Amino acid sequence: MKLIIFEDAKYDNLYPLTYMRPSFELRCGATSLCEKITHAVGADSSAAFVRDWLGEVYAQKAEIPVNDPAELEGDVVFVNGRLLVDGTCDLKSIGPDEALKVGDTLVAANVTADTLAAAKEESRDAELPGADVSLEPLEAVLTALGPKLAVKEAEATMIDFPWLLIRHNSAMIESDFERLYTPAVNAEMPALSCMLGSEHIYIAPTARIHPMVVLDATEGPIIIEEDVIIFPHTRVEGPGYIGPGCRLMGGKIREACSFGPVCRVGGEVECVIMQGYSNKYHDGFLGHTYICEWVNIGGATTNSDLKNDYTTVSVYFKGELTDTGEQFLGSMIGDHTKTSIGALLNTGTVVGMMSNLVFSGQLMPKEVPSFCWMLNGRPTKGMGLKAMLRTARAAMGRRKKEMSPAEEKLIRHLHGMLKEDLRKAIKKAFKR
Amino acid sequence: MADLNDVTARVKKVTSEVVGVPVEQITAESRFVQDLHAESIQSIELVAGFEAEFDIEMDEDDALEVKNVGDAIGFIAKYVDAK
Repeated sequence: MKLIIFEDAKYDNLYPLTYMRPSFELRCGATSLCEKITHAVGADSSAAFVRDWLGEVYAQKAEIPVNDPAELEGDVVFVNGRLLVDGTCDLKSIGPDEALKVGDTLVAANVTADTLAAAKEESRDAELPGADVSLEPLEAVLTALGPKLAVKEAEATMIDFPWLLIRHNSAMIESDFERLYTPAVNAEMPALSCMLGSEHIYIAPTARIHPMVVLDATEGPIIIEEDVIIFPHTRVEGPGYIGPGCRLMGGKIREACSFGPVCRVGGEVECVIMQGYSNKYHDGFLGHTYICEWVNIGGATTNSDLKNDYTTVSVYFKGELTDTGEQFLGSMIGDHTKTSIGALLNTGTVVGMMSNLVFSGQLMPKEVPSFCWMLNGRPTKGMGLKAMLRTARAAMGRRKKEMSPAEEKLIRHLHGMLKEDLRKAIKKAFKR
Repeated sequence: MADLNDVTARVKKVTSEVVGVPVEQITAESRFVQDLHAESIQSIELVAGFEAEFDIEMDEDDALEVKNVGDAIGFIAKYVDAK
């Protein structure tokens, strides 16, 4: 049996986090949505379908076939990549030719080879009014499958909005710890370091813990992966996940943080997810925030994650100020974005990719477009795309990574796709 | 053809807003850095301000090479003509 994990048309609900990756590669807990789905299904093999303009970049990173129609055969379990496997929905309980839905959203379907073959044949010349063309041919096959499957209404947690990753992060660290790790302190703990609740701590053998480090797992587990270095005067509270090659530079790593590979983190952070390869080296507070890859947070950059009147936080979602229902919510920051020293981010700020936020003495706006330099509180195009690409290559080179031609092509595609948003924002700001 | 008087007045208006120098002190010969004391960040703001004012999209590299107000007027007039 094969697993096919797919992006549905709501990938754009998760912008800016999904500009450069499929929705199922987003992190929640110690692992991605994809890893959790793959583990839950326990298939013999896997394949993925993503929007077409992301396919080339994702195919280079994924270890499974991507957007290959030839994979649409045999006995297949289709799973929507926005599903958070949190125990609400049992993927193994889906019977043959049965589908689970939440409202109109397909969560998962267990499709036999004959049914899939018939749907594939029917879908060859199908017209899909209103379908997202970038997700063909998968969408054509799923549409043809519809009437052939017995549909059951499911209880399932779908990541409909980016802030849900932040909401569920703490619980997901705990469940990933239970599922994937055996508590063990495999690295040397210096005499002047301290562990509380060591029965809930995993430290990989190649991790290095300096003196004057406190690991407090009394409120939740702590996972410290290979090649992590934790420098003196760092306190880590569980639940917490410190990914491979991370360095903690001193400070308060409070509960519910997940750092993907090769991040640098210091200062005070609480319930922060970092996708990987990003830096928040210096002092300054970030809370209830999602940071994509290759982001650099300047010293003393701080965000608010709680309003002074304790009401729920609103964010700009598809251009409209929308109540998230969350009492705590900081920022969502796209790939390759930088903040200057002292930048101040308001509660519920959404920052696009490849932007540069320069401190101006006031709060940044709650919505910053992609490819934007915020200067003196106003959006600009900065030095332009060529300079932004140059900076991105330099940042990646510092971590021994190279921007592939496919990645550059994707960034150029996104620049074209998003430049009208920036143009409108500039015009609005300068016409005031 | 762009109305050069109009372009001149609007270039001076945007320049004044960004660098904080009164319009009447800005001439075609005024150099952005040496005379108007524009910092590098303000050069970027000037480009954004001109684009918004004239509803044009300029090449960033070329735009940032423009050194004085008179050259900016000529540079922008070409984009206005091309609209």
